[in-house]
Amino acid sequence: MIAYQAGELAAFERLYAVLATDLRRYLAAAAREDGSAVQDLVQETFLEVHRSRRTYLPPLPVRPWLFGIARNVLGRHRRKAWRRARHEDRGIEAADEQTWSTAPARSLAVEPRDIEDALRRLPAGRRDAWLLHHVHGLSFQQIAERFRIGVGAAKLRSSRAMKTLRATLGIEPGGRDE
Amino acid sequence: MSNVHVPEEILASVRRDLRPVRPFASPGRRALALLPLGLALLVAVPAFWGWRENLTVLGTMGAWGLSALQTLAGLLVVGAALREAIPGRELSARAILGTAGAALALFVGLTLVTNHVVPFVIPPRVFRRWIWECYWIAALSGLPPLAAIAWLASRALPNRPAVAGFLYGLGAGLMADAGIRLFCRVSTPSHVLLAHGGAILSLGLAGALVAMLVERVRAGRSQGIG
Repeated sequence: MIAYQAGELAAFERLYAVLATDLRRYLAAAAREDGSAVQDLVQETFLEVHRSRRTYLPPLPVRPWLFGIARNVLGRHRRKAWRRARHEDRGIEAADEQTWSTAPARSLAVEPRDIEDALRRLPAGRRDAWLLHHVHGLSFQQIAERFRIGVGAAKLRSSRAMKTLRATLGIEPGGRDE
Repeated sequence: MSNVHVPEEILASVRRDLRPVRPFASPGRRALALLPLGLALLVAVPAFWGWRENLTVLGTMGAWGLSALQTLAGLLVVGAALREAIPGRELSARAILGTAGAALALFVGLTLVTNHVVPFVIPPRVFRRWIWECYWIAALSGLPPLAAIAWLASRALPNRPAVAGFLYGLGAGLMADAGIRLFCRVSTPSHVLLAHGGAILSLGLAGALVAMLVERVRAGRSQGIG
């Protein structure tokens, strides 16, 4: 690490070789993401290691410092994901409302039996969330309480159900029937 | 050694900026580097706002000695904050509470000692106004050290910016108030705790906000680069 701070590229490569596997394992367990997302996090961590290499204080062990940086990167990733999910939730809600508001017009072109079939083929959790929100008029908060899940998860289930229904019935989002 | 190779995009980024860097000094030494700032505050704050009228009654130890002790306590808290800002060197919850609690206990202790040596009765009609005035003077005096320490801490990479920021805000507040002690002649505990203590805590909260803001800006910037 000292050689790396002195500007030796080979020292960085050695650091990567020694710690990348453990880091990937740690991030995979902590982030619960798929392989490519974890690889991105590993890369981002090493880039941050490079940017913050002055903060390593020799002769302290390198591992806690590097994993400390990984926690920082993970924290940023989670905050970003949370902000994105919140943003998408708003979009989903708006899109769902738009689709439902035009549904009576579409229902003329779609057979009730087709809708029933499409609904039956949906996973139970998604179908229930969709029916409770769009047919029974429950809010996502109420659905979340009923299933003991987060409001975001309730919205997501309903939205995914809506997406599958659109695809199955050949309806374009918020638009006209095909 | 394992057979893992660095991906080309990381290697390219590292190659682009491979100038040698000097590692930071230890948090304790960096806090010690702020000693001149602490001493300057000790003199500059009362020199700017005016010296307390009963300074001689308080005596050298009661005035300068206790204020220097408070400055040192502030520096210790800043040292803890600078350590908290280094990845992998975060403080335990007990250490954070212990540091903040000990610093505030020292502040309360000094207040009681000062009131014992030079008791002061505030006229009721000015009680609230003086609290308000002293609060703002103490808070404003803490802003320059807060800015300096925030800059020092922001060069590291705090995993818990709010904690690091609260600690360095607290330290800056204690350092500034060490000078305010030599300006404000009121030693009544209710005044000192509400006005001066309130300013110290406010600076702690301001530090937490500043640190979170800095981290947010840095996160945005690193995403732009990465």
